[in-house]
Amino acid sequence: MTHAQSLARRWAIAACMVWGVATAVAVNRPLERVEYALAAHEARAVARAMVDSSGRRPSPIRRLVAEGSLTRAGVELSRYLGRAVRGLEESDRVVVHRSWLKRAVSVPLKDRDEWEIVGVVALQAEPWRDLPVTLLAIAFAVLVAATLASRGVDRLAEDPAIALYSVLVGPVATLAVVMAALTALVRQRVEAAAASLPPPSALSRFDGLTLPLPSATLSALTLALIFAATAAALVVAGWAASARRHAAERRETLTAWAFLAPSALHLLVFTAGPLAFTLFISFHDWDLLRLDRPFVGFGNYAELVADPLFWRAVGNTAVYALYVPVSMGLALGAALILNQPLRGMHALRAIVFLPTVVSYVAIAIVWQWMFNADFGLLNVLLRAVHLPGVDWLGNPKTALVALMIVSAWVQLGYQMVIYLAGLQGIPAHLIEAATLDGASPWARLRHITLPLLRPVTTYLFVTGIIWSFQVFTLVYVMTEGGPVHATDVLVYRIYQNAWEFRRMGYASAMSWILFAILLALTLLQWRALNRTVDDAA
Amino acid sequence: MASVRLERIAKRFDAGGTPAVDGVSLEIADGEFTVIVGPSGCGKTTVLRMIAGLEGPTAGRIFIDGTDVTDLPPRERDIAMVFQNYALYPHLSVRENIGFGLRMRRVDPVDIARRVDRIAESLEIGVLLDRRPAQLSGGQRQRVALARAIVREPAVFLFDEPLSNLDAQVRAQTRGELVRLHRRLGTTMIYVTHDQVEAMTMAQRVAVMHKGRVEQFAPPLDVYRAPSTLFVASFLGSPTINRFAGRVLPDGTSQRFDGGVRLRVEAPLAEVATLAVRPEHLNLVAPTEGSAGEVTLVEPLGPETILHVRLTGGEQATLRLGAGTTPAVGDTVGVSVRATEALVYDARGRLMGRGVA
Repeated sequence: MTHAQSLARRWAIAACMVWGVATAVAVNRPLERVEYALAAHEARAVARAMVDSSGRRPSPIRRLVAEGSLTRAGVELSRYLGRAVRGLEESDRVVVHRSWLKRAVSVPLKDRDEWEIVGVVALQAEPWRDLPVTLLAIAFAVLVAATLASRGVDRLAEDPAIALYSVLVGPVATLAVVMAALTALVRQRVEAAAASLPPPSALSRFDGLTLPLPSATLSALTLALIFAATAAALVVAGWAASARRHAAERRETLTAWAFLAPSALHLLVFTAGPLAFTLFISFHDWDLLRLDRPFVGFGNYAELVADPLFWRAVGNTAVYALYVPVSMGLALGAALILNQPLRGMHALRAIVFLPTVVSYVAIAIVWQWMFNADFGLLNVLLRAVHLPGVDWLGNPKTALVALMIVSAWVQLGYQMVIYLAGLQGIPAHLIEAATLDGASPWARLRHITLPLLRPVTTYLFVTGIIWSFQVFTLVYVMTEGGPVHATDVLVYRIYQNAWEFRRMGYASAMSWILFAILLALTLLQWRALNRTVDDAA
Repeated sequence: MASVRLERIAKRFDAGGTPAVDGVSLEIADGEFTVIVGPSGCGKTTVLRMIAGLEGPTAGRIFIDGTDVTDLPPRERDIAMVFQNYALYPHLSVRENIGFGLRMRRVDPVDIARRVDRIAESLEIGVLLDRRPAQLSGGQRQRVALARAIVREPAVFLFDEPLSNLDAQVRAQTRGELVRLHRRLGTTMIYVTHDQVEAMTMAQRVAVMHKGRVEQFAPPLDVYRAPSTLFVASFLGSPTINRFAGRVLPDGTSQRFDGGVRLRVEAPLAEVATLAVRPEHLNLVAPTEGSAGEVTLVEPLGPETILHVRLTGGEQATLRLGAGTTPAVGDTVGVSVRATEALVYDARGRLMGRGVA
C-alpha cells in the first residue's frame, strides 16, 4: 500500500467518525422535534376534548394548538379555564416546560359538563434517556461505515469513480442503521409515554372525555421518513460526486429525471402515498368522526373473511365481469363489419363509439328510464310483441343482468375501436397470401385474423375484467346495491362502509383485497401479453 | 404447367386518374421464365397482382392455360406467389406456414407432412421446420416463402421482387438457385423486379415496362443489343448508355448522323434524332482522329475502368475501357464510335436505324 493510499484511508476513517457524531446530533434533534410534536398532538386532542366535545363550538385554543403555538395555546387555555372555573390553581393550567434537554407539556382535564377540572395530563420527552443504546447503535454504524470507506480507498487505484462512490455509501449506510435502531427506540419511548396516561377507568365518571392514545407508529413513521429523505439526498449527492468523470452520463441521467419528475411525483403523491395510507388505515378501527382510532392488526381482514355480504359482493362482481367477453364478441363483429371500405363507415364508427365518451351518470339515468317497468322502452317493445314486461331493476334476478347490458352497451364502442386498430395493424399481404393459399373468407378469419388479433383480445379481456371489478357509478345511480344486495358489488360495498357506516378501516381492508385481486389480474395480463408478443415477433 | 396470356389489360385505381397499367398484352409460354422489369411506379407489380387475382383489371382479359380466369378468385387460378416481404404467417411455425395452403385445400395431414418434409429437404430448411418466422434470417425466410409456393405444385409461380430484402451476397446466391429451381421444376414463372441484373441473368424473356406499358418483350440479350425504345436503352445497362442529340442528314447516297459525334448511319432523314451508344462501344483514340474531349472523371473498377469525357461540343460521353494504361483527369483524348453498334432513335424515342461502317 502506498503512502498516499494509507493517508487517504486514515482520512476516510476520520471522516466517518465525524460523520457518526454528526449523525448522533442530527438524530437527537429530530427526536426532540418528534417528542415535541407528540406532546402538541396530545395537547391538541385534550384541548379539543375539553372545549369542543359537542363538535359545534369553534375554539380559539384548538386553532392555536393546530397552528403549533403551544405556549400561546397554554396561555389562552388557562385564561379560558380561569374564566370558566373560579379558584383554579396555577398548576392546573396548560403549561409548556422547556429546558435544554427536556420538553414537556401538561394539560388539565375537565369533566363532562366542562365545569370542573378533574385532573392533569402531562407528557415529558427525554431524548437522552437511552443514551447507552443510542451510542452503541452509532458506534456500530461508524464501524460499518469506516470499514466500507477504507475498502473504497483500497479500490481507489482501480476505479476512482466507483471507489469514491463506496466511500460515500459508507456514511449513508451508517445513517440507515442508526435510523432503524432509533426508530425502534422512539417507538418504545412513545409507547411508554402513552402507558403513563391515566387509565380509561379513571375517567369513567367523565365519559364525555375520550383521550386518543398517542400514535407511536405515526411518530416512528415521521422519523423514518426524515431519515429516508436524508439518506436519499446523500445517495444522490454521492452519485453526483462519483459520476464526476462522466459528465455527459450525469447530464443524461439528470435530464431523464427532469422529464420523469412530474409523473414520478404525481405517482408518489397521488398513488403510492394514498395506497400506503390505506394499508395503514386498514389495520385500525378508523372512524372519521372519532378521535381514537385503535390499532386492530388484522382484525378488519378477519372480519371480512366471515362477512357474508362481502362474499356476496365478490360473487356479484365476478358475475358482472362476465359481460366483458360478451361485449368483446359483439365488438369484434362490429369491427369486422365496420372495417369494410364502404361509404358511411366512418360515421357509423363514430356513432358506435359515442357511448364511450358520455358521462356514466347520464348513461345510468337514461338507462334507468329504459328499464322502467311501466314506461320503459324495453318493456314497451316486449309488450309490443306480446311478451310479459320485466321489472328489470326491481327484480333481484334481473337487476345485475340489466347492469351488465348497460355496461356492454357502453364498452362496445371502445372495444370496437381497439379491434379496428388491431385489424388495420394486420399487414394486408398476410391476408393476400392466405387468399392465394386458397383460404376462404371464414378460414382467413379463423386462421389468420383471429390469431393475429390475439394480443388485442388479451389486452381488451384483461383490462375489461379489471375495469369491471371497479364498477361503481352504474350501481350507485341505478340500484344502490339493491334489490336485496342483488347488485352489491365490491366498490359499492367499500363506499358504503367508508362513508355511510363510517368504517374507514374496514373499507380500507376491502380496498386492499380488491387491490390484490386487480394486481393478480394485471400480472396475468403481463404474462399473457408478453407471450402473445413473443409469438407475433 | 400452363401458359399465361394477357390481352390488353388495364388498371385504373381512381376513375379519371392516370392508369397504373395501360393496355398490357403479353404471351408467356408454358414453362417460360419471364421477368417484368421497370422503374418503381411503372405498373409491374399491379400486372402481377392482376395475374394473381388480388386486383381485378379495369379492362382486358387474362388467360391461364387457355382458360379465361379474369373473373375467377385467386384460389381457383392454380397459382402461387412469393411476396416481397415473404408474407409468412408470424403465428405459425415454418412447418405450418409451408403446409397452410395444402391444409386449406383439405389435403390429408399425413400427405401434407410428407410433402412439407420433402420440400424442406430440397431447399435445405429441414432444421428450421419448428421455428417461427421471427427466428429466421432474411435468406431463411425467403426459402420458407419459396417452399410455401412450391409445395402446392401450382401451374404458375409469381414472384414480387423476392430478393430485394436480402443483402447483396445472399441475393446473388439465391438468383442462381432460383434459376436452377426453374430448370428442375419447368414451371411457368413470372418474376417482377426493378433490378436489371436480375432481369438480365434470370429471364428467358424480359418485359420492360414504363408508365403502365410494355416497351419491349424479348430475350435479355436482344433487349440489351437492340432496345426498341430510348427508355429501354437507358434503363438497362450500367453505366447508362451514351446519348447524343443531333439529326440525320443526307450524305451522298446514304445518310449521316450529325451532332456531338458524326458517323454514317442507315436511317430515315430526321431533324431531331438521338444516337445511343453503349459505353463499351466507344473507343479511345488520338484527339485528332475522333471527337476530341477532356477527361473529367476516372473510375477504376479493377477489371475495367469507366472514363467520363466532356466533348468539345459540351456533351458527356462515358467509356468502358479494359485494364491497362488510362488517361488522367484533364487529359485531352479522342472518342470514336464503333459504328455498327450505334443505335439511332427518332424524336419519340423509337429505334429507327443503326450506324454503318
